This record gives sequence, C-alpha cells and structure tokens, in this order.
Amino acid sequence: RTLQKSTSALPKSFCAQQQEDKLILAIVVYVKTVCCSLLPTRMNVGVAHSEVNPNTRVMNSRGIWLTYALGVGVLHIVLLSIPFFSVPVVWTLTNVIHNLGMYVFMHAVKGTPFETPDQGKARLLTHWEQLDGGVQFTSSRKFFTISPIILYFLASFYTKYNTTHFVINTVSLLSVLIPKLPQLHGVRILGINKY
Amino acid sequence: MSMHVYENISQNNTGVSLSNMADKFPIAAVGGVKLTRGRRFPTKRLRSQGRVGVRICLPLISNPTSSFKRYTSRVCSVRGVSSWRGRPTKMTESSATKLLNGDACHRTLHGKNASKNGYVKNHCLFQQSQKYRRAREKRQNATTNPSLYQKPFVESFEETPLLVAVLTYMGYGILTLFGYLRDFLRHWNIEKCHVAREREQQKDFVPLYQDFENFYTRNLYMRIRDNWNRPICSVPGAKMDVVERVTHNYNWTFEHTGTVVKDVINMGSYNYLGFAENTGACADAAVEVTHAYGAGVGSTRCEMGNLDVHEELELLIARFLGVESSMAFGMGFATNSMNIPALTGKGCLILSDELNHASLVLGARLSGSTIRVFKHNNMQSLEKLLRDAIVHGQPRTHRPWKKILIVVEGIYSMEGSIVRLPEIVALKKRYKAYLYLDEAHSIGALGPQGRGVVNYFGLDPKDVDIMMGTFTKSFGAAGGYIGGRKELIDYLRCHSHSAVYATSMSPPVAQQIITSMKIIMGEDGTSLGADRLRQLSENTNYFRRKLLDMGFIIYGNDDSPVVPLMLYMPAKIGAFGREMLKRNIGTVVVGFPATPIIESRARFCVSAAHTKEMLDTALAAISDVGDLLQLKYSRREQPLASLGWTSEESLLQD
Repeated sequence: RTLQKSTSALPKSFCAQQQEDKLILAIVVYVKTVCCSLLPTRMNVGVAHSEVNPNTRVMNSRGIWLTYALGVGVLHIVLLSIPFFSVPVVWTLTNVIHNLGMYVFMHAVKGTPFETPDQGKARLLTHWEQLDGGVQFTSSRKFFTISPIILYFLASFYTKYNTTHFVINTVSLLSVLIPKLPQLHGVRILGINKY
Repeated sequence: MSMHVYENISQNNTGVSLSNMADKFPIAAVGGVKLTRGRRFPTKRLRSQGRVGVRICLPLISNPTSSFKRYTSRVCSVRGVSSWRGRPTKMTESSATKLLNGDACHRTLHGKNASKNGYVKNHCLFQQSQKYRRAREKRQNATTNPSLYQKPFVESFEETPLLVAVLTYMGYGILTLFGYLRDFLRHWNIEKCHVAREREQQKDFVPLYQDFENFYTRNLYMRIRDNWNRPICSVPGAKMDVVERVTHNYNWTFEHTGTVVKDVINMGSYNYLGFAENTGACADAAVEVTHAYGAGVGSTRCEMGNLDVHEELELLIARFLGVESSMAFGMGFATNSMNIPALTGKGCLILSDELNHASLVLGARLSGSTIRVFKHNNMQSLEKLLRDAIVHGQPRTHRPWKKILIVVEGIYSMEGSIVRLPEIVALKKRYKAYLYLDEAHSIGALGPQGRGVVNYFGLDPKDVDIMMGTFTKSFGAAGGYIGGRKELIDYLRCHSHSAVYATSMSPPVAQQIITSMKIIMGEDGTSLGADRLRQLSENTNYFRRKLLDMGFIIYGNDDSPVVPLMLYMPAKIGAFGREMLKRNIGTVVVGFPATPIIESRARFCVSAAHTKEMLDTALAAISDVGDLLQLKYSRREQPLASLGWTSEESLLQD
C-alpha cells in the first residue's frame, strides 16, 4: 500500500506540473523497503496527517513565537554592534527591516514551497491568507499583528519621537498592518501580485 | 458543560436512507430534533408538548472540561507536579486515573491507588524519586474509563524540548535563506541548473512550471535525497543487500558503483512476522500455484477473474477474523479508496482521525460525504463531534444524517500509536454510528493470536462493522481485504469499484496469503505461527525498552512494533540515514512536510525475523549515532541500569 516515487526520472519529473506516482503490485512491492516520505507528493502519500496544507499550521507549532522573538532580538543586536549607527537609527532600522521581512514573507510571496494535494487552492494566497485556513482573529494572527506594533512603540520611544524617524516608522508599520486587515483578505490592489 | 441530547424517539423524523443499504442496516443517526423556526435547541414549550423525548445525561467518556481543554494545539500538556496539588480533593475514579495519566508514562491500572506524586508503586525495589521537572506529555488522550481495558494502555508522546524546537526552526530558516540564494544563482546562470526550465522563447509566456512549489524539493530534499529510494537486490527480510550508489553532483544524479552492500539489517520493511522470504512453505506453495494458474489473471472479479483460489482465500480470511464473510482486493490502497465511496455518500458523515492514511482520506473525499476530523486518538474530541452531529444534523438543512461512519486505523504507522478501540466501540454503540477499522499495520502484528487489534483488546469482532486490512505488512504479500457481515460483503461484491473494474488478485499472491495465514493460525501443523507472534512481541518490547533506556524520545504505544524515534532537526534527518547505512543498518527517515514541522523522525519496524543479536547490533549502532548526533533528548528519568531487571522474559505480551 505504500508508494514509490520514480526518482530515477527526476529531471523528467520536474517537467511535469504534477509528479507521477508509480503504484506497485504483487511481488514487486518487496523492492520498496525504504519508502520516500520527505518528497512532496500528490496525495498525502507517506504523510503523517490529513492536513492538506501544512503551511496553515506552521505558525501554531511549539516554540515558533519564541524563535521569531529571538530572531528579532538577534537582528537588533547585530545592528547595534555596527559602530556607525546611533541608537535611534538602529531602532528605526530594526523596525524597517523587520517589517520589510514580514511583508515579503507573509504578504508578497504566494503559495507554498512544497506541492500540496489541495489542487492549487493555496497557490494564489499569501502566507498570511493561508494561516489557519483563512479563519480570522486566531491567536497566531493576533500575535503577528501585535508584534510590529510593539516594535513601533519601542522604536518611537528610542528615537525620541523625531519627525523623520516617525514618518519612516509609521509608513513601515502601515505597510505591514494594512494587509493584515480582514477586509483585505484576498484583495490585490491594482492587480499587483495577482498571479 | 454537560450537554443534554434530546432524543426524539416518538416522532421519528430520521428519514429513511435512500441508499441500497437502508433495508439491511439499522438507521444509524438518531439526529433530528424537531426544531422550531429560528431556534437551535428545543425549548420548554416543546418539552411540555411531549415532542421531545428522553434526556441522556452525562457523556459516556467523562467530563470534557479538564482533559479536553488540556488538548490545545500549542502550549499544552499537564504541568508536571505542581498542578496536581491544586486539584480538588474529591476525586472520582475517572479523575484519579486522569491524575495518573499526567505522568510521562501513564498507566491505567484500575484498582490501584495513586501514591502522592502520582506514581503507582510497582514491584520495583528501587523507585526513583522525582528530582527534576518531569518531561511533559504532548497529548493528553487520557483514558478515563479504565474498566474497558483489560491490560494497561501505555502510550507516550513526549513533548519537544523548547530548545530543540527553536534550533529546528533556525535550521529550516537557514536552509530557506540558502535556498533563496541558490535559486538566485541558478536564475542568473552563475550556478548550473539541473531543474527543467522553459525554452528561452517561452520565457515571457504564462509560466509553465511553478518554481516556487518545488522550492523544498530543489533546496532541501535534493540535499539528502540519497536516504530514500535506495535500490535493493535481495529479499527484504531481516537482512538485505543494498546497491551502492554514488553521486558526483550532490544528489542530482546517481551512478551505481557496481558493488552491493551485503547483509544490511533491515529496520524499514513492514515485515512484522518475517514472511518476506523466498524459501519455505509459503514460497513453495506460491511457486506451485504459479505453475498451475500463471502469474496474471487478466480480468476483474465480476467477469472472468474469480478463481477458486480467491474463494478459498476469502473463506479463510473470514475464519481468521471471526466475521461472517470477507472479500479480498488486489491492492491495499484501492481497498480503502474504492470501497468507502460504495459505503457512504452524500448526506452521510465520516468522522475520521487526524492522522489517517492517504487512502482513507481519498476514499472519504471520493465518496462525497461530509468529513469531520477529530484529534488523534482523542475520545473526548470524537464524542463531542458525535454529539454535535446528532444534535445539529446536516449543515444547512439540519436534517438527520443518513449514516455516521467513524474511520480509524489499528496502528498509526507514523506515530506508533494504537487506537483506543474499547472506547470507540462503546461510543459507537451509544450513539449508533458505524465503525470502519483499517488494520493495515495491526493485523498479524497485535494480539495473542495475531488476529489484530480486536484480538489485542479482547473485543468481539462483530462489534466492528467493517474490518479492513492489508496483506502487505504481516503476510508478505499484497492486497487488501474487507470483512464484515454477509449482507455487507455481498453488497460490496456488486457495488465496489475495485470489484467491478480492477483486476483481481494474482494467484501466487493469493496463495502466499493463504499459506501464511494458515501458518499464523497454526493450521499447518507446526508451531511456527505462534513462535513468530511471540518473537515479535518480545522483540517489540525489548527494542522499545532499550531505546527508552538509552534516552531517545520514542512515540507510540509500548506494544506497537512501529517505533518512531524523534530527530527534529532537518540536518539530522540526512545525517541519521547516512550514518546508519555506514553501520550497515537500513532505516526510514521522515521529515517535513510529511510530518509536522518540528517532528521529523526515523521510523523502525521491528520484525519477528530479527534475532536478538541483530537487534543488539542495531541498538548499539543507534546509540552510537545518537551520541554522535546528540539525539538523546528525553528528559524523563532513566531507570538504574544496575538493577538487572531488564530481562525480557517478564514482558511477554500474553
């Protein structure tokens, strides 16, 4: 009942949009001892769960919020260790780089980095739209909405509310908050990033 | 919150099922509360009118408050010792057992009282006191009805240590960044690109390939691809010969060196009873039948492909399982995916476990029924779904469901957990649902007589409505079967897609199954079957216990021959596979997205063909690799090795 991937023809298999599954009957099933389970497959085959799109659950896994917070902390420390930047500049830079990264990975990149058996439903959705299967106001969504706001507060404080910094930080914050609104779920303004 | 389900017993608007099975099977769902317009629940007015019937009081599987809330997706599990002291002192037997279940290794021994820190005192002379915070359990599928189980049901899924989780995410993050870098280099032709691309003239058209969907394949899977699809050139018994491969371009292409690595210990084959062999009674019988019938059948069961071998096989299966009748199919995957659509349809409800196999998921989706998923092996979740379904009926119309089918597996091969069958049978009888049990891994591997998970729990096979299984694992053949009542099987003979369109089982395969099944049942006159069953359970217990003693995190039930060993980090997946092959042991490793992102694992399948020496060799190698890769994550207490109570004679399953 376990399947085998035809990896001998792997370059060929990249030509096709979907990979071919070879189903092996009878005595030939003996040949397959070490089954391929990491290869993204067409039909959850060799998969440990019935979730069609693992991307929906990644942000709920254990420890990922902590990792994210640590990542932002490491970014901040790296920027602080550059001798040219003053503290306000560093905070603004942290805020801007964090928001840029969040925008790119959550709101710009579409689809999944692996093939999913959901027949392409998630191909045109950004990661934010895929989270929890489109359900709004789950805890992950709230967390990722609040964290740029917290960073914004901290940056505003440490830049002593300087006008230039304020403008930059606010624009950056808005760029990452507005796509998170439930009203903008699936909306592509001016057709940018539609396909 | 205890829900009261109002059963409308007098005015039966359950509706007659339109399917053919309506006459044969009792109406499953009792659903259908007579609703007033705009209200969801029956009101006092209805009660006074006598339209609403009996009130069912408490849920069968204990109160859903504490243990159900404990099962949250993220930060979860019982908090070690401290929370116990805050529990109310008045304890019923069910909450007492819940207390017990807060341990890393919970036991449901009825009749024994919990001592102060929750450990039931066993007959071990030296009992380790708890020195540090106990490792948490990831899932609290607390068995709160221990009277249903005849022997202790011990499952453990130790939670991922937080540091390991953070490092795992960092690993995937670094791999992703490097993946983007490599894609950039490939795009600008700085690096040679092995991936298929469009022609230059077509670059401006709508893209032909979804490059992003192959991101993981290109950048993560390719790096460690040599751990999978290894060609072997012998029978995959306890030992096998692996063809040696070498790659000159980092796993994009392989070449065979011409040498063969001999006698690699096979810890990956589903060879539970050791019937993957090319000598012996099974092989001889199969050869004879090939001479008599040939290798192929050339037709479907409904046309010319019904041989007497098939009839004999089906009678034997029915006797083996203890059911009225059975039917065999040529392919195990097709048994599930082609028969579930024949059994349920639109207007039916399928309650399927979270970790069900792809064939079950495909069959459920093909059938067109509504599918609801309950948490893995979690009876509170299942009961809640059942109650909600019966109370509310179908989604928009609130009509009663035509059928409710609970689909579970015997052993879940990625987790190594065994289904809580006694509780499910109790639930199904209470709420009048049907049960579909997929025993792909558990038939032949569990139970004192090897009759599967029903035999393991000592239940009546008639309680399970549809018993399905495959012959691939324990019988050394291929194909699947469905067993049940005679009306059900007669219906399937006509209505199953597999029976009508798919070629029937090949004669030598059928004979292999017949011979191996007779051996297991002991009807061939030797004690080979009983020996193998005993050897399997001994091997399982020994292997699991040794791995736990070494400090690895192992998932699953103590009696399941499938042993997942947690690796967690993406780099360790490749490293583990390669290091094990260097030490002449073949293993299966699994990672994301086949498993949840932080739960990549190596999966061992213990076999009756493994001798103790082979297991010791394997264990030594695993311990070696575990030290090398720092895989010994477990934070539960290790028993003192000097006690000498590690003898395996005391742990016979029966």
